[in-house]
Order: sequence, then structure tokens, then C-alpha cells
Amino acid sequence: MKWLKNLLVFLIPAAVLILPQYLFFSDGITAVEQRVIAIFLFAALSWILEPIPIYATSIIVILLELVLISDKGLVLFREGENLGNLLSYKELIGTFASPIIILFLGGFFLALAASKYKVDQSLAQILLKPFGSNPKLILLGLILITAVFSMFMSNTATTAMMLSIVAPVLALFDMQDKGRIAFALAIPLGANIGGMGSPIGTPPNAIALKYFSADNMITFGEWMMFALPYVIVMLIIGWFLLMYLFPIQKTTLSFNFKGSRKMNNKILIVYITFILTILLWVTDFIHGMNAYIVALYPVGIFLSLNIVNKEDLKFISWDVLWLVAGGIALGLALDKSGLAVHLVNSLSFDGLMGYVIVILVMLLSALMANFMSNTATANLLIPIVAVMGTAIPGLLDVGGSNTIILATALAASMGLCLPISTPPNALAFATGFIQTKFMVRFGLIMCLIGLILILGLIVVLRNINFL
Amino acid sequence: MDKIYIICVDDQPEVLNSVLEDIGSLEEKFFIEGCESAEEAEELMQEIDAKGNLVGLVISDHVMPNKNGVEFLTDVKESDMYPNLKKILLTGLATHEDTIRAINKAEIDYYFAKPWEKHDLLLKVKHLMTAFILDTGLDYQDYMIYMDQQLLYRRLKERV
Repeated sequence: MKWLKNLLVFLIPAAVLILPQYLFFSDGITAVEQRVIAIFLFAALSWILEPIPIYATSIIVILLELVLISDKGLVLFREGENLGNLLSYKELIGTFASPIIILFLGGFFLALAASKYKVDQSLAQILLKPFGSNPKLILLGLILITAVFSMFMSNTATTAMMLSIVAPVLALFDMQDKGRIAFALAIPLGANIGGMGSPIGTPPNAIALKYFSADNMITFGEWMMFALPYVIVMLIIGWFLLMYLFPIQKTTLSFNFKGSRKMNNKILIVYITFILTILLWVTDFIHGMNAYIVALYPVGIFLSLNIVNKEDLKFISWDVLWLVAGGIALGLALDKSGLAVHLVNSLSFDGLMGYVIVILVMLLSALMANFMSNTATANLLIPIVAVMGTAIPGLLDVGGSNTIILATALAASMGLCLPISTPPNALAFATGFIQTKFMVRFGLIMCLIGLILILGLIVVLRNINFL
Repeated sequence: MDKIYIICVDDQPEVLNSVLEDIGSLEEKFFIEGCESAEEAEELMQEIDAKGNLVGLVISDHVMPNKNGVEFLTDVKESDMYPNLKKILLTGLATHEDTIRAINKAEIDYYFAKPWEKHDLLLKVKHLMTAFILDTGLDYQDYMIYMDQQLLYRRLKERV
């Protein structure tokens, strides 16, 4: 069965490639558009069924585009009647260094330096102290601290760091005490939800940033301004829900942190650069440098001061960067070939209210995010919804592209229900303290509340004329 | 997914069986093989390597006819054929000198004295397999629930 499934991933797109053109839309399509449909199908099937790793799918997408639809592709594919618009190969290869890739690289450098000098761990320990020894407050502390870190570090690295602090303490719980489930679920909650708090918190946010319309750009600071309140509300709800579903019986809890680390010059530089970068990110309206340019500051500073050396570069998640690059290339092909507009125009959304479409897309995004990678979900959906936002009258009434892009990206962080939904869920599940049914119960409730609150957020943003 | 082997070596069948039984729960993810002599183990390991599969861990007794455990593990170490391979010496009868050689020459990762605690052995095997998987750069997600969580977290948080 597995090989059949894997074969379909390649056969279905290949079949689309050889169908006669008049079958597609009533007014026919160009050869390039037809190839883009095949590539899109391949990407979608491959990201969902994973016959090859998801980052490999991205690279294959870029390769296929270069060969099939670029101006320097295989000669055979560059001629013929009704060919359509070929894409610039430079632009396709340029996706590897797209501004949002650089933005993520900047985030990775911050996380790399923080992890190398154990700044993250010391900071987490310092921040945890004020929460005392009451398990309920410590639970809140863990959720909040995880969320803060995951805004600037990858959700996976944050989860691993926080679980390494929490797991030894969990072993001290009684076997019957459901509190340990609450603690084990608190970390992925903080990581997944916290990731929504900043544009670099999780790839879907950055992908959204790329597609916001140029004349109504949402900046780094603006994102944090509306996302932070949302994140805080979600975390507090999550905290109460965890205590309700998994009551903690243990009355006191203490962490045994070994030795505090002394400050030295390098650690000081890491702290200063961290603060400087974040300040520059949120004050772009003063100095005019956008988030992408600011992202190169930590890269430049850490490399030249030897805080991050060439050995450390190996620890960067190139797979995440390339996964995103493939998504950008896919979006580029949908856009430049004219297929996206063609597709949206041929589907009838007339009579559907804008918010109904937004809700449907959010549900689809959240559903996909629970079964596949959040980033791949955003890669597939956001280029299409961006065009829907400019073409569908009902959506224009509720803020157009920006509204639906934002809703889709935020909903892609609702992968809370299953161990396979996100790497943080998988890591927490592997602690052995959580059964799937507990994660589903808690995740499903949080996911529904989360979607309703995203909708609420969007209505508010629309009413203050932000969207 | 890569095939990863755990090789257990002991000349006494009943001891070998009890080792195999203690770590049997790992058989869902790893291939566990038992050998009754160092020579048999060496042959098997070469066969595994020739097929392009990986040996992650060797658990060896010391006192055996012909080649003893420390010699065997030293040879394996010096052959350079199995990078990142983890080694456990499991023995009741090793002289002071053997023990020193096991650490300095064979660079063993752990020493178990017979009789061993079943639970401790399993934990240690999980720990060393986790280290092997991460050292070798395999995709840890395939093995996650069979790994030493603490070690996994410690190593993962260095990746960003």
C-alpha cells in the first residue's frame, strides 16, 4: 500500500501534464499554467503524504520549475504555441535568499548564540524564580516563558530546552497525579501559541509577511502589537483549561538549578545584540530599516566577533529555510504564470459573504496544520488566498488579501491536537507522560477557542481600519 | 529508514538470552542480534556494514574462549569501520588491567558488572542508541519514543 501511495504522488501530476489543455477551464489555459498545476499538485500531495522529506519536496519544486517553466529551462519546454509566461530563472533561484529567508536566518543566529552561551537556559531559570513554589503558578510561568522564547527561537528548540528543565521535575509527581500531564502539555502549548507572537516566531508568520500587499504592509512591530494580546489571552485560557482538565494534586514544587553562570564579555554581547535587534525590529517607523535588513545585524555582529563560528553554522536548520524557499517559489509560479488569478476567477464565490470564506479557509488551514507541517500548509494556502483576497468581492469588503492571509497564517499555528501535528507536540508526547487522548482533548478545545479568537481579532482589526 | 543493529556477544547461551530478553522491547525499531563468540560477531558486523546498514551498539562479555571481549572491542575500535559505535562491556570477571585497557584502548562507553539490573541495562542501551543516532545524524523523529529523552532534549536545544 505504501508504494502505491508514493507512486500516486508522482503519477497524478504526470497525468495532469499530458492532459489536453481544453479540459482545464472553459477558456483554456497556457502550457505554462498547465505545468504549474502539475507542480502544485505534486507539492501538495508530497507535503501531505511525505514520500520524500518535506524540505526535499521544496527543492524538487524549485528544480521542476527551473526545468519546466523558466526562461533557461529545457529547450523543449521553451517553445510551442499557447506557451504562456515563462518565469525568470534568476527569480526562482533567488527564492533561496528571499528577504524572509534572511529574516529567519537572523532569528536563527539569535537562537544559536543564545543556545551556545546557555543564555536561554539561564534566562529561563531566572524568569522562573518569581513564580515561587506553587505548582499552579509554576505552570503559568512555564507556559509564559516558553511562549516568550518561542517568539524568537524555533518552536522545536524552545520545546527541547524547556522540557529538559521540566522533565526531571515531572518524575517527582505521584503516578496518579494528573498534574504531570498538565505540565507536559504546557510546554508545547507555550511553544505553538507563542510562535504566533512575532513574524519570526514560526515560518507561516514570515510567509504571511511576504504576501501582504505592498501598499498596506504589516511591519514587525505592528504584528507584535496585535499578536501579543492574542497570545497572552490564549495562554491564560490554556492555563485555566489545563488546571481544569488535569488537576494538580502536588502542593509544592521546587526546581534544583545547578550553579548560576557568571557574566562574561561574550555573554554580554549576546544579550546586547539580542536587545538591540529586537528594539530595531519594533522601531522601524523611526529608523526606516525594515525587519529583513535588521535581521542581518545579529548575523554580522556574531560572525565578526566570533560568537558564532563556522562550526556552529552546521546547527542552523537549513531544512526549514529551504522548505520556506520552495513555498515562495511555488507562490511565484502561481502568480507569474497567471494561474492563480485564472483559478480564482473561474471558481464562483459570488454571494458568499467575506467572513464565511475567511472561516472556511481558517478551518482548512487548521485542519491541514494538524496533519502536516505548519510551514507546508502555509506554503500551499497563502499564495492562493492572497489572490482570492484581490479577486473576490465579498473578501474585499472585509479587508481583502491582508485579512485572509493573516487568518490563514494564524490558523496554521493551531496544530495542537495530535502528536504528529508539530515537532513540539511530538517531543512532549515522547516524554511518555501524555496519552494521545489527553492531547486531543486539550488540543481540540484550544484549537476551537483559538480559531474563534482569531476571527474576533480580525473583526477588531477591521473595525479600527487596520486591515 | 536506516537499519540499525545492536549486537550482543556472550559465550554462555543462557546469559546471552537474558541480555537479549532485557532489551527485547527495543526490537520494534532496532535489529538485535546475539553472537556466541567475538569472531562470529566480527563476521556479522562486517556483513551488516557491507549491506550498507549500521551497527549502533555492541554489548560484549569479557571472558570468552579465543578472543576476549576487551580485545574484540579494541579491534572494533581500531578498525575505524564503525564511526560513532557505542560499546558496553558486561562482565563479572575482568582484571584491573583488563578494565584499564577497556577504557583506554577500546574506549568503552559503559561497564556493567554481572549480575546487572535489567532496568539499568535497558536505560543505558536507550541512552547510547540515542547518542549514536544523534552523532550519526540520523532522523531522530523515527526513533523518538525509544530514546533517552533527557539526552535528546539536551542535544536538540543546540540546534536552531
